[in-house]
Formats: sequence, structure tokens, C-alpha cells
Amino acid sequence: MSFPQNTGHATPFPRLSILLHWVMAVLIIVMLFVGLVMAHDSTIHYAGLFTLHRTVGFLLLLLVVIRLVNRFANHTPALPMDMPGPMKLAAHFSHILLYGFMIALPLVGWAMLSAGGYPITLWGGCHIPPLMGFHPHLWGVLRCLHSLLAYGLILLILAHIGAALLHGIIRRDGVMGSMLGR
Amino acid sequence: MAHSPRKGSPARWAAVILPPLCLGGLLAWTADIFSPAAISPSHFMQRFHNAGAPGDGFRRAHAKGMCTTGWFDPSPEGRALSRSGIFRGEHLPVMGRFSLAPPLPYLPDNPAVARSLSMQIRSPSGDDWRLALVDAPLQSMRDIADAYAFFGAAKLDPATHRPDPVAVQAYAAQRPWLKTAFAQAKAHKQTSDLTNDTYNSLDSFILTDEAGKKTAVRWAAVAQEPFSPADGSGANDGNYLFKRLVQTLDQRPLRWDIVATVARKGDPVNDSSQPWDNADQKVTVGTVTFTKAYSEDESPCGPMVFDPTILPDGISASDDPLLALRSSVYMRSYATRSAEHKAPSMVTPGDVASPTLTQDEKGQ
Repeated sequence: MSFPQNTGHATPFPRLSILLHWVMAVLIIVMLFVGLVMAHDSTIHYAGLFTLHRTVGFLLLLLVVIRLVNRFANHTPALPMDMPGPMKLAAHFSHILLYGFMIALPLVGWAMLSAGGYPITLWGGCHIPPLMGFHPHLWGVLRCLHSLLAYGLILLILAHIGAALLHGIIRRDGVMGSMLGR
Repeated sequence: MAHSPRKGSPARWAAVILPPLCLGGLLAWTADIFSPAAISPSHFMQRFHNAGAPGDGFRRAHAKGMCTTGWFDPSPEGRALSRSGIFRGEHLPVMGRFSLAPPLPYLPDNPAVARSLSMQIRSPSGDDWRLALVDAPLQSMRDIADAYAFFGAAKLDPATHRPDPVAVQAYAAQRPWLKTAFAQAKAHKQTSDLTNDTYNSLDSFILTDEAGKKTAVRWAAVAQEPFSPADGSGANDGNYLFKRLVQTLDQRPLRWDIVATVARKGDPVNDSSQPWDNADQKVTVGTVTFTKAYSEDESPCGPMVFDPTILPDGISASDDPLLALRSSVYMRSYATRSAEHKAPSMVTPGDVASPTLTQDEKGQ
């Protein structure tokens, strides 16, 4: 399955996995910026940004489901054998967290809009059904949770980028290359 | 371990650490972490608090209110102006909320206070149109800086429990561009009741028709009940305005025409403190009929947010800076008050069930 030596030529991820990773990476970063602008700027007319945020959020939810299926259906390259145990554990754990946040963030966003009685309109004026009825108390809680999850995801992504670069530049063990298709 | 962790030069370590650090910094900058002096929704929450908003689950402005339900019947003229599904429907459900404008949920009704009407109109296909209207003729602020100063001047003096009149006068005196707005507010003749009042959007909106043609409008909910001047009668009951609204609804439905004032060239679309040309065309896009009243403690309109930028396709916000501000401040108020334990509203379910006015000892 995997190369015994960390020669910088580890098995690459399957093409579909690589495509899903980078498409979602770009979309998630855009979403984080759009979300921060919406939450912190009172001077801009964010109806358009809001529609973008809802549409891309819904798209990301669909993508993460496909990605999850792909993760189990397709093979994932093993980590280099010489990676220390705690580092491997951190890698596995952080990936589970990343998946968890990628699933939870759009779901909480959808639930929060539903609970708050907001119309959930996507590009082209298409409406998606609410996940629940009007529960204003839940709206406040979910709105807060949506922010906390977003801040959590930001930290996870920063750690993920740092770890990838550590593999690619310091350890040079082929882990970063496996997601670059090399 | 077959290999010890490899070492890297400082340049290589920099290449590992700098990219995530830069991205993190950019995200933090987007979240305004480096420029906390900007006016934010939290600053407005503080100003509402200083102006007497108690929290307790009440909205931070237009705090005292009551709910109504009814329907909206659109007109063909509305259909011609906007492609919205709202104007294609018939007999659409409407949830309304009548309120007094100040941030004080236990303010006794009196003729001097500004009143507001918020509505949510929904179509079966999911269109959702929220309106937040007040009975002032023009907005007494033109931008976010004005709004911030306006609510700053509304701060209650701890000794008198009223805003400092000097601060209120200074606000107007320092803003010659609001001269017309204040003059029109002064000339505005208050009606006797909530039932015969006319409520205005102040902010402008853009309608888009089937062909994509855009029209800028200001909304008004114009009462079909005849005008009658406010004379303060009944003011010995702290809820007389709301109780009389319930009494009337117990007898007959109440109707408001939804009138679009269509902008002509030269009308300021992005400044709700300035009047439009008196000769502007007025188009009745439909009629709202209210038939039932509820205390906001037993209706979803109590917690509901009436953010005027929640709009269906075919209606969009103009570039009036106050619309963007209202949206973000309403959202913050909504999040904050939703998490609080709600104290009972002043207009209670009992007041709605038996809206008898309290008489004072003089038997007025």
C-alpha cells in the first residue's frame, strides 16, 4: 500500500480526492472571509454576500457528503512509517475534526436560519426548506455556535496548512505531495 | 524510530510558519481585530442600553408592541412594478406588529411618541417580505455617523430618566442637512390612534419587473380609516392606543393600502432624510387587512426580526447606508434578546382579551 521509506514519493491521493480537497479548500476560505465580513461590517449592503454565503454553504454541504463517501470508498495513502506516534495521532485526530467542522458548519447555518425564521434563498431565487420550525431561543444559540465553529475551523485550517508545509518543507516525506498529485 | 525529525534552515521554517500566519492575520483583519474603533453593532447595543433599553428579552428599539394577523391582496399595478411572487399571489398571510418607537418596553402610551408598524408578508412559494415602517415623514439621520450620534443623544439622564434636551437640540443644530427632516417632523400631525396612522419605510427600495426594469420606491402603509387628530383622550390608560386598536379589530377589519412613491430623476434614493418631489407618482401595490390582535407574548411576532432587508426576489435594498446598518443592528439585537429570558410585555394577553380602558378618578 504505502512506501516503506519516506523518500518524498508517497502514493498520491486519488484524483477525485485531490479535486474535492482543493475545490472545497477554496470555497471554505472564501466562505470564512465572507462570513467575517457579514458578522463584523455594518456599512456594507450584504444581501448579495448573504445569498452567496447560503448558496456556497449549501454546495459545501453537498460536497462534504460526496467527500465522506469518497473517503470510505476510495483509498487514502498511509502516513510515512517513520512518523512519530503522537504526530500520526494528531494527524488522524485533526482530520476527523476537519470533517466534523465541515459537516457541522453548514448544518448549523441552515438550522440557525430555520430557527430564526429567515427565508433560506439561494442564487436564482430558489428556496430550500427549513430544517426546523421557528424557535427564536435556538436561533440565538445556533448563531453563536455558528461563529464558534467558524473560529474553530479557522484555527484547524491554519494548523492544517502549517502541518502540510512542515511535511513538505521540513520533513520532505511526500505527504504534502500526495495532495498535490505528485 | 528509523529517522530523527529532520532539521531545516530558518528560511525553511519561515516558509512553514509564515503562510498560515499571513492567512490568519488576513482573517483577523477582516474581522476588524486591528481597528476596533469602528462603529459596530455592539456599540449601538450599548447606546440603546444607555437610552433605556432594559434587555429582558425585549427588542432594543420599538420595544413596546402588539401583534396582529391578516392578509395581503396585491394589485395589478404592483405586479407591473415588481416581478416578486408576492404580487402574483392573492390573499397572502400577513403578520403585523404595531409598536411605539422608543427602546422602552413599559412606556405608557401618549400622543407625543412616534409609532411603528412592521409586517411580514409571505407567499406559498417561499417569498418573504419584511417591512419596518414608522409614522415619521422623514428619517432624522442620513448615515451611520448620524445614527450613532442620534442614539448617543437619546441617552437617559440618570436624574430625570429623560434624554438631555441640550444634547437632543445639539444633535439637530449641528446637522443643517437634517433641517427639512426636523421641520417636517414638527409639522407632522399625529393621528388619534394606531388605526388611522400612516407608516413610512423612509428608506428606499428597488423594484425589478419581469423585463428587468428597475424602479426606486419608498413605501407607505396608508390607513383607510379617516384621519382624526391626537387629543390625548384616553391617555390615563397606559395602553390606550393598543387597547383601542384591539377594540376596533373586535368590531371590524382594519385596512392599510401599501403605496409605492415612485422616484423621479433627482429624488435622493440613498438618503432617507431628504424629501422626494411632491408630484411623484403614487402607486397602490396592494392592501393589507388585519382582523386579529394578540399580545406579543403569545404570537411569533414578539420575537420575530423585522429586518427591512429581508426581501423577496423582485424587491431589493437601495444603497441607503441606513438599510445596511439596520440589518446588522437588528441581527445583533435579535441574537442578544433571543438568548435572554423575556419579561412579560406591557400589552398582556389579558389586555387583548378584554380591552377595557382604565378610567381615572375624574371619570374621563
